[in-house]
Amino acid sequence: MTSLVTARGVSKRFGDVLAVDNVSFEIEQGRIMGLIGPNGAGKTTLLKALLGLTDCDGELSVLGLDPFRQRKELMRNICFIADVAVLPRWIRVSQLLNFMAATHPNFSMSRAQELLSHTKVRPDAKVRQLSKGMVTQLHLSIITAIDARLLVLDEPTLGLDIIFRKEFYGNLLNDYFDGERTILITTHQVEEIENLLTDIMFINEGRIILDTTMDSLAGQYSELMASGDNADKARSFGPIFERDVFGKKAMVFEGVSREQLADLGELRTPSVADLFVAKVKGAAA
Amino acid sequence: MISNQLSLVRRELWEHRAIYIAPLVIALVMSLMSLTGQVTISAFGHEVDLAIIGASSAGEIERQAAITAILMVFTSIFALGAWILMIFYSLDALYAERRDKSILFWRSLPVTDAETVISKLLTAVLVIPLTAFAFVVVTHLLNLILWSIWLSIQGGDAGHLLWSAAPLFDNWAATLIIAVAMPLWLSPLIGWFLFVSVFTRRSPLLIAFLPMFVVPMLEKMVSSTSLFWDAIFVRSVRPPLFKGIDVSRIFDEDNFQIAADTASLLAKIDLARFLSSPSMWLGLVVCGLFTTAAIYIRRYRDES
Repeated sequence: MTSLVTARGVSKRFGDVLAVDNVSFEIEQGRIMGLIGPNGAGKTTLLKALLGLTDCDGELSVLGLDPFRQRKELMRNICFIADVAVLPRWIRVSQLLNFMAATHPNFSMSRAQELLSHTKVRPDAKVRQLSKGMVTQLHLSIITAIDARLLVLDEPTLGLDIIFRKEFYGNLLNDYFDGERTILITTHQVEEIENLLTDIMFINEGRIILDTTMDSLAGQYSELMASGDNADKARSFGPIFERDVFGKKAMVFEGVSREQLADLGELRTPSVADLFVAKVKGAAA
Repeated sequence: MISNQLSLVRRELWEHRAIYIAPLVIALVMSLMSLTGQVTISAFGHEVDLAIIGASSAGEIERQAAITAILMVFTSIFALGAWILMIFYSLDALYAERRDKSILFWRSLPVTDAETVISKLLTAVLVIPLTAFAFVVVTHLLNLILWSIWLSIQGGDAGHLLWSAAPLFDNWAATLIIAVAMPLWLSPLIGWFLFVSVFTRRSPLLIAFLPMFVVPMLEKMVSSTSLFWDAIFVRSVRPPLFKGIDVSRIFDEDNFQIAADTASLLAKIDLARFLSSPSMWLGLVVCGLFTTAAIYIRRYRDES
């Protein structure tokens, strides 16, 4: 596996605040990585560093390039949709496609037109005339028509209704992702992307507190629903987090074999959302 | 690089349609005024006949001078319009993309900040004046045709009175030189406007113009000199592009005494003086500094 993104000891300081604190990780080609973290955890700062929008300390390489110093080369092979990177409202869809074709060497006009033909977005419409969902469809179609190696999505579906959100991720998997391309995605709506991720990374207070593949998640973490004495016994195995669910205790364990816990109650793999809460709150406790 | 610039400049024309709509409106309004003027003066049948006879018997130089003056009235309105467009355009150029939050989208494309900022500078100093120049030519022709038709109806000889006497190519060549040279002369101001538009968070017009008045006032109060006032305002209206007289004096009463000179606008232009003017080159350097600063800010500023 080739590593597309390599970060070693990456830090970013804003005045007294260490937004990203000595972070190291790798993203391999062909993966769909979810970067999950609460507000102010350093997600956006980290993404900006990856996209060369901000400088940082440490060693950061994206597609073998220094993102901050080799931005133009990087932008040929990287795309991003961010909630804050909105399409200009004054532009016509046809103008936007023409501009992309003229400035982006890896953009395919025919592919974009084909993708848009499945939507209600008309070529002569101005962006300001489109609904928010349609603008996102347009943006995703443009991005999908770029033969880029890495796609970065920062809260791409913020403010969209559930139908557009489902469609967005459906299109992302069907049209964009081909096993060769790589996606890095952040969102608060973890439940919606849980099933499409191959890798997951949690970030909190500027530090990475979890970095694993979805496949190995089940082997590392388990959630036990137990009550009464069983809950007390389970507690001796050192759950990283515990909460009350309908009078029972839901405990999340890290690195405890399932055989040891199997007799104590109902066992399952925690959802990403639950695991996230466990990691963040557990660390705080 | 070149093809990217063309796409980027085309993008500016999509966003700022006033660049061609404003001169189009000026052309239409002035042609309409020509028409209503014709209708109005047609009512004075006898006087019109006398005027045509008088004009027919005037010397060729006088006719050329008179038509040059009329052509210049049209040109100067376009020039004023282009200058206003350049001010508003350059104040908006790097501000609008932050106001509508599209800057990160533009920056997600493989286009450098230098390319983007330079495309906006080129639009201001080249595209706006050259568009205005094209409209000047069209408006001159259109109005000469309108007046030819009117003259023919009145029984005058338009070919003799207008076309043979109109030093069109002289006039257009001179106008083209002015259209290229004046923005270069004013480029430090355009650079300043672009620089303001890249950093200001609100009201670029106010932020740009306030210091242009406050700084010379402070200078006057502190040292009772007027270096800034001269550099900003006196310099702006005194380009070293003309022989002997200033732009402001072209329409002076004296003109009727130097009519032979007035007939040729090209003869008034002193390109050697312009190109050898240290003040012009210094202005370009100032523009370059402001532009570099604008590129730097767009490149290295953290948008959050």
